[in-house]
Amino acid sequence: MAFGMEQGLIRNFCIIAHIDHGKSTLADRLLELTGTLSAREMGELVLDDMDLERERGITIKASAVRMTYRARDGREYELNLIDTPGHVDFTYEVSRALAACEGAVLLVDASQGIEAQTLANFFLALDQGLVIVPVVNKIDLPAAEPERVAQELCDTFGFRREEVLFVSAKEGAGVHELLEEVVRRVPPPSGRPEAPLRALVFDSKYDPYKGVVAYVRVVDGHLDTRRPLRLMATGRRLEPLEVGYFRPSPTPSQALVAGEVGYVATGLKTVGDCRVGDTITWDDTPASEPLPGYRPPKPMVFAGLYPADAEEYGSLRDALEKLKLNDAALDFEPESSLALGPGFRCGFLGLLHMDIVQERLEREFGLNLLATAPSVEYRVLTTDGQELPVRSPAELPPPTKIAEIREPWMHLSVITPDRYIGAVMELVTSRRGEFVRMEYLEHGPSVREGERRVLLEYRMPLAEMLVDFYDQLKSRTQGYASMDYSFIGYRPGRLVKLDILVNNQPVDALGLLVPADKAYQVGRALVEKLKELIPRQLFDVPIQAAIGGRVIARETIRAMRKNVLAKCYGGDVTRKKKLLEKQKEGKKRLRRIGRVEIPQDAFLALLRLQR
Amino acid sequence: MKGRGGPISLYVHIPFCELKCAYCDFNSYAGLEELMGPYVDAVCREAALWSQAMGRLAVRTLFFGGGTPSLLPIPLMERLLGALGKHFHFLPGCEVTLEANPGTVGLQYLKGLAMLGFNRLSLGVQSFQDDELQALDRLHTARQAEEAFGWAREAGFRSINLDLIYGLPEQPLERWQATLERAIDLGPDHLSLYALTVEEGTKLAYQVARGLVPPPDDDAQAEMLEWSLERMAAAGYEHYEISNWARPGHRCQHNLAYWECRPYLGLGAGAHSCLPAGDGWVRFWNVYSPRRYIEALAASAGPPADVVAGHVPLSMPQVAGGEVVDLDGAMSEFLIMGLRLSEGVSLEEFRRRFGRELLEAFAGPVTELSDLGLVEERDGRLRLTRRGLLLANEVFVRLL
Ligand SMILES: Nc1nc2c(ncn2[C@@H]2O[C@H](COP(=O)(O)OP(=O)(O)OP(=O)(O)O)[C@@H](O)[C@H]2O)c(=O)[nH]1
Ligand code: SF4
Repeated sequence: MAFGMEQGLIRNFCIIAHIDHGKSTLADRLLELTGTLSAREMGELVLDDMDLERERGITIKASAVRMTYRARDGREYELNLIDTPGHVDFTYEVSRALAACEGAVLLVDASQGIEAQTLANFFLALDQGLVIVPVVNKIDLPAAEPERVAQELCDTFGFRREEVLFVSAKEGAGVHELLEEVVRRVPPPSGRPEAPLRALVFDSKYDPYKGVVAYVRVVDGHLDTRRPLRLMATGRRLEPLEVGYFRPSPTPSQALVAGEVGYVATGLKTVGDCRVGDTITWDDTPASEPLPGYRPPKPMVFAGLYPADAEEYGSLRDALEKLKLNDAALDFEPESSLALGPGFRCGFLGLLHMDIVQERLEREFGLNLLATAPSVEYRVLTTDGQELPVRSPAELPPPTKIAEIREPWMHLSVITPDRYIGAVMELVTSRRGEFVRMEYLEHGPSVREGERRVLLEYRMPLAEMLVDFYDQLKSRTQGYASMDYSFIGYRPGRLVKLDILVNNQPVDALGLLVPADKAYQVGRALVEKLKELIPRQLFDVPIQAAIGGRVIARETIRAMRKNVLAKCYGGDVTRKKKLLEKQKEGKKRLRRIGRVEIPQDAFLALLRLQR
Repeated sequence: MKGRGGPISLYVHIPFCELKCAYCDFNSYAGLEELMGPYVDAVCREAALWSQAMGRLAVRTLFFGGGTPSLLPIPLMERLLGALGKHFHFLPGCEVTLEANPGTVGLQYLKGLAMLGFNRLSLGVQSFQDDELQALDRLHTARQAEEAFGWAREAGFRSINLDLIYGLPEQPLERWQATLERAIDLGPDHLSLYALTVEEGTKLAYQVARGLVPPPDDDAQAEMLEWSLERMAAAGYEHYEISNWARPGHRCQHNLAYWECRPYLGLGAGAHSCLPAGDGWVRFWNVYSPRRYIEALAASAGPPADVVAGHVPLSMPQVAGGEVVDLDGAMSEFLIMGLRLSEGVSLEEFRRRFGRELLEAFAGPVTELSDLGLVEERDGRLRLTRRGLLLANEVFVRLL
C-alpha cells in the first residue's frame, strides 16, 4: 500500500432513522467519543449544516465525517460516518449514501417505536446488502419502552433479541458499546486497490471557491490530484483541485484509496455536472463499467412560481439559477400565465423539496412569490398516437384530441396505532387510494387493544397526496401516524380538465385535472370558495366551473352597492383624503383577472385552494 | 395673511360631551366639564389672535360643533359670542348654527340661544328607537328628542336639522323606516342621514372586532339609503348632498362652504381651517387636546410674530400642523368635495377657479367613471349618478 489505511481497518457506515429519533444527536456523541470534536466545539450539531435543515428538523444533504477510533482490540480504526437525508423526497440520495457504506445503524426511538421511515430506510439498506445494527435510542426517557421496541424490531425485521443495542444518544449511555459493535459487525470494504479508479459520488455541493465539491466513496483504485478525472454518466472531464476528507472540517490529503470516503474539489460550475450516483474514473485509463444504480434526478411534483411583483422576474430567474448550482434535482423553465404574468414552471422531487425551494427563494433571496397549486406530470396519449408529458393542466391538448390520460401512482405505507385504522382507511380511499395489505408490527399479549402498531399499505395517485394529505393524516391520527411513499408507475385514469372562469374568462392558474366522478363536487366547492374570496366589484361577476365548455357549477358575486363616506367631519378634509388615499394604495396592490380586481392576499388564498 | 379678502365661514369646536357615544370618533371628551370656563377664554383669545393677524374678517356663516356645544351654559355662550362679535364682522343674514343633544336643552336655554343670535339648530337625534339609542350609548330618549324639537320651535328656531343614523348592526329596514317617519312627522327643515360607520378606536370597533356585534351590512345600508331617497323626495325635501336633505331655502350654508371649497377658519381644539394660498389653498389644524389647547393660548402673550399668507401659520401657538395644497391637489379636492353635492360641479366654475378645463384635466378618470355609470356630464355640470352616489368612494379614489 502506497498510502492510506489498510482496508481491514476501515469501517464505512451510516445512521438511518425516522425523523427526530436522534440521528444527529448520536452522530455528535460519536464525534465526541472519538475525539474528532471536543464537547466544547459542539454547540452546533455538526452534520446538519444548513439553517433551514435545523428548523425543519431534517437533513437535506448528506456529508461524511472521518473519525479515528482505538477499539478494545487495541487497533486503531478509520470510521467514516456518512450522513443520509432524512426525508422521503430524497430516497434516491439516501440510496446512494447507503451504497457508499458497508453497514448501517438503524436507530429507533424507545418511546416511539418503528415508524414509516424506519421501515423504508431499513429496506433501502437491505437492498444495498448492508449489515444492519439495530439500536434503541432515548432509553433515558421516562416514556421509554426499550423492551417493547426491541421486540418490535425483532418481530418486524427478524433481528435476534441479543443483536439489539440500547443507547441514550443524549446522555452517552451505551454509545461506546455501539462503536465496538460497529467495528465488530460491519465488514471492512473490499475494493480492488490496483484496478482503475471507480469512486461513487454520493453527494455534491457547490462551493464558491472550489466549484463543486463531490463527496465520494472510492470503490476501486485511488484518487489523487495528479490525474485528470472523468464522470462516467455525464462524460464531463475534470482536473481535481483538491482531495481530502472531513474531520469534521475539510482536511486535504494526498490521496483517497479503495475503501476510503472523502471529497474531491472538481472546479465544476454546477452540481448538475457532477450528479449524485455518478462514477468518477481516470480520464486516461477509465474503468470499463460504472458503478451500478445511477439515475438522473427526476422531478415528480410541479408548480408555477411567479414573482408577486412582475418586476422581480429577473431576480427570480437569477435566484433559481443560483439554487440550481447546488440542487441538481431542481428543474425550471419559463412559463407565462394570464393571471400571473411571466414566471417559471418548476419541477421538484416532492412536496418537501418544493417547500424548501420556495422558502429559500423567499428567505435567502428576499423574493415575494406566488405559487400555483402543485401538480404531477401526466402522460397524455393523443388520438394520433403520441404520448405527451403534461406538467400543468394548462398544457393539456383539447379534449377531442385526448385518447387517455395517465397519472403517476405511488406505493404508500402508513404506520399507526390500530385504533386509527378506520380513520386512515377513510382518508386514503376518499383520495382514490387502493388498499394493498395490513400487518401488525407487534404481537404478543403485552400490548393493549387499540395500541397495537400496524402497517397499512396502499396504492394511491400522487396527485391525491399533493394537497393537505400529510396534514390530514396527522390530524386524523392525532399525530401518531407516520408515512412513506415511493413511485410505482403510471396508470390510466378517468380524469377531466376542470376550467375555472372568472367573469367568463378561464383562469389558467386555477385550472386543474380531477377524476371525472369528483368533478362536480370539486367544481362546486371551488366556485363557492372563490365567491367568498373575491371581493365585490363594480359589476356582477359570474364564477363558473366548466368541463370542456359545459358549465357544471356557477355562482355570482353581486356588484358592490355601497362604498361611501357618509359623515362630514367638520372641515377635516385631510382626514377624508387620507382614508381615500388608503383605499387607493390598496388598489395598487391588486391583481387583475380581466376587469376583476383581487387583493394580493385573496389571490394567494385562491391559488392555494385547489381541490 | 391679509388680502385675498372675501367673507369666510367660521367654525367653533366645543369638545365636551356627557358620555362618549359608542360609534363616535370626533374630538370630544366626557368628564372635562371643569375646563369649560378656561376653554371658552382660550377660544376668545384665539379669536383675538386672528383679528390681530388678519384684521376683522367678514363672516358669512358661524357653526358651533362638537362635542356637544349645548352643554355650554348661557353665560359662557354669551361671553364667547361677545368676543367673536368683537373680532369678526358678521354679515347680515349670517347663518348661525348650534349642534345640540336632546336631553341637554330645555325651553329656557333654547330661548337664551335665540336671544344670543343663533338662528339654526342641529339636533343629534340619531334614532327614534330607545333600544337603539341605548345601544349607541346615547343618553336621551326618543320622547326627549321630540320634546326638544317642540321647544326649539317654541323658542323661535325657523331652521332646524335632525341628525339620524341608519344601518345599525342587525337593524331591519322597517325600524329605520319607522325612525325616519317619526322624524318627517315633526317637520324639520333639514335632515342629515348618516350610514353608521365603524371608526377605528371606538367602542363599536372593539365590539365588532370581538364579535360582540356584527359589522354594519353594506347591502342593508344601501337599501335604506335608496328607500330614504324616495321617501324624502315624496316628503318634499331636496337631496342636495350625499347625506343631506333640506326644504327649499334651508340648505346648510356652513357645510356648503366645505363642499364648495370656500375659505373657513376653525377655532377651538382640533378645529380645521382652510384659507386660499397661491393656486390652491392651505389647510391647518389646531392641537387636539383641549387641555393643551388651553395651555397653548394661555402661554401666548402678545400677538403672533408673523402669519405669512400661503403658509401653514405655525407661528400661531394653537396650530399643530397643516399642509399646502397645490393646484393639482386643489383641483382634485374641488372635485371630490363638489361631487358630493347633488348638483355636482360646474365646468364653468372649475375653469374660473383653476384656469383649466375639468374634462381635459381629468379626462382619463372621467371617461372610466362615465363608462362605469358612476358619473355623468349634463348641462355643463359633472355629477354622480344615482349609482355613483352609493359608490362615491370608488369615484373619489379615481380622482385623487
Ligand atoms: N431524552 C433523549 N432525547 C434525545 C436522545 N437523542 C436525541 N434526543 C432528542 O431528540 C430530538 C431529535 O434529535 P435529533 O438528533 O435532532 O434527531 P434526528 O434524527 O437527527 O432528526 P432529523 O435531523 O430531523 O432527522 C432532539 O430534541 C434531541 O435532543 C436521547 O437519547 N435521549
Ligand atoms: S354626543 Fe356627538 S360628539 Fe359627543 S360623543 Fe356622542 S357623537 Fe360624539
